[in-house]
Amino acid sequence: MNNAAPSAHKDPHIIACAGEVLEGLNEFCRSLRYATFLTDDGFEVASFGGDDKQNRRVASMASSMQALGDAVAKDLRIGAAEYIIIAAETGYVIQMRVPDQLMVLAAHFDAAETVGKALSVVRLAASNMCAMIRREAA
Amino acid sequence: MAEHVILFAGPMGAGKTTAIESLSEIETIRTEANNTDRETADKDTTTVALDYGEITVGDEDKVRLYGVPGQRRFNFMWTILKERAVGLVLLVNNDAADPIQELADFLDEFGDLHEKGGVVVCVTRSDVATSPHIDQYAEKIREVLPGRMIPVFTADARNTDQMRTCLMSLIANIEMTAMIAASQERAA
Ligand SMILES: Nc1nc2c(ncn2[C@@H]2O[C@H](COP(=O)(O)OP(=O)(O)OP(=O)(O)O)[C@@H](O)[C@H]2O)c(=O)[nH]1
Ligand SMILES: [Mg+2]
Repeated sequence: MNNAAPSAHKDPHIIACAGEVLEGLNEFCRSLRYATFLTDDGFEVASFGGDDKQNRRVASMASSMQALGDAVAKDLRIGAAEYIIIAAETGYVIQMRVPDQLMVLAAHFDAAETVGKALSVVRLAASNMCAMIRREAA
Repeated sequence: MAEHVILFAGPMGAGKTTAIESLSEIETIRTEANNTDRETADKDTTTVALDYGEITVGDEDKVRLYGVPGQRRFNFMWTILKERAVGLVLLVNNDAADPIQELADFLDEFGDLHEKGGVVVCVTRSDVATSPHIDQYAEKIREVLPGRMIPVFTADARNTDQMRTCLMSLIANIEMTAMIAASQERAA
């Protein structure tokens, strides 16, 4: 884990990277309703779509979900939780940890998207975010 | 007596996770995340969903212990977990910026658990900050919840015996509330 930048949500550089990645995600996948990068402890880093209040709330809830997913995976001894999907009637939420970062990406798609595609674009965005932070740090 | 669900609430860094760890007889379930809010509480991790532990009291009564996240932005978890609880251990760290106000705020959120069973207040980290005095907590409780029997202790969340004393006093209150309710039902 990267502890060098403990407060991603206060780091203008990381916030800018996150904004850029989210723009790209939207370009790539029009069924995206909104998406948020958040710190492990539930602070919003950057969001696409949604209003401020909703994004902050999603960030907190996604952080709880992530931790509960990790707790279940740990208890069942099935390794680390890779991603979490909530499938609902009119859409779904996918969330995934940004590799090597204390950060999570949560994205909400409408039901028109296939889970497979949504999952692959979220994975791509998460790894783009990781690559960008690394590049900035180098 | 049926299974009790006891909630541990209070501000960030009060010692909810530590208290459940001290009390639990099973390996606790934790949802700790890297803490980026060092101004509020200077510690490595913070709870983002819940803590869970279990303890047996008496011969067979199983008590389920749930800890909530202290940070208000997780208050959706407060609502979820409060639903099931019959009692509250309200922990307040004496070294908080304004511990008496924290006490009032958390009583405002969780004080109605007194009617469901009982509430105890447990002041932690009084070795780190020696004031306010425990009397000031008692006075605030009388002010915001007049006429309720809410014991106040000072305790170290890391100390199993001290936390057990708080918990036992709460369970005694819960059982008394249940007895009173039962006798009132009989009288009616
Ligand atoms: N010196 C001292 N330390 C204490 C005492 N009680 C608890 N602690 C310490 O205070 C810290 C409390 O941290 P947590 O148990 O994570 O607090 P929490 O209430 O779960 O906080 P959040 O989950 O972030 O809301 C731990 O480092 C404990 O070891 C005490 O009476 N004295
Ligand atoms: Mg905790």
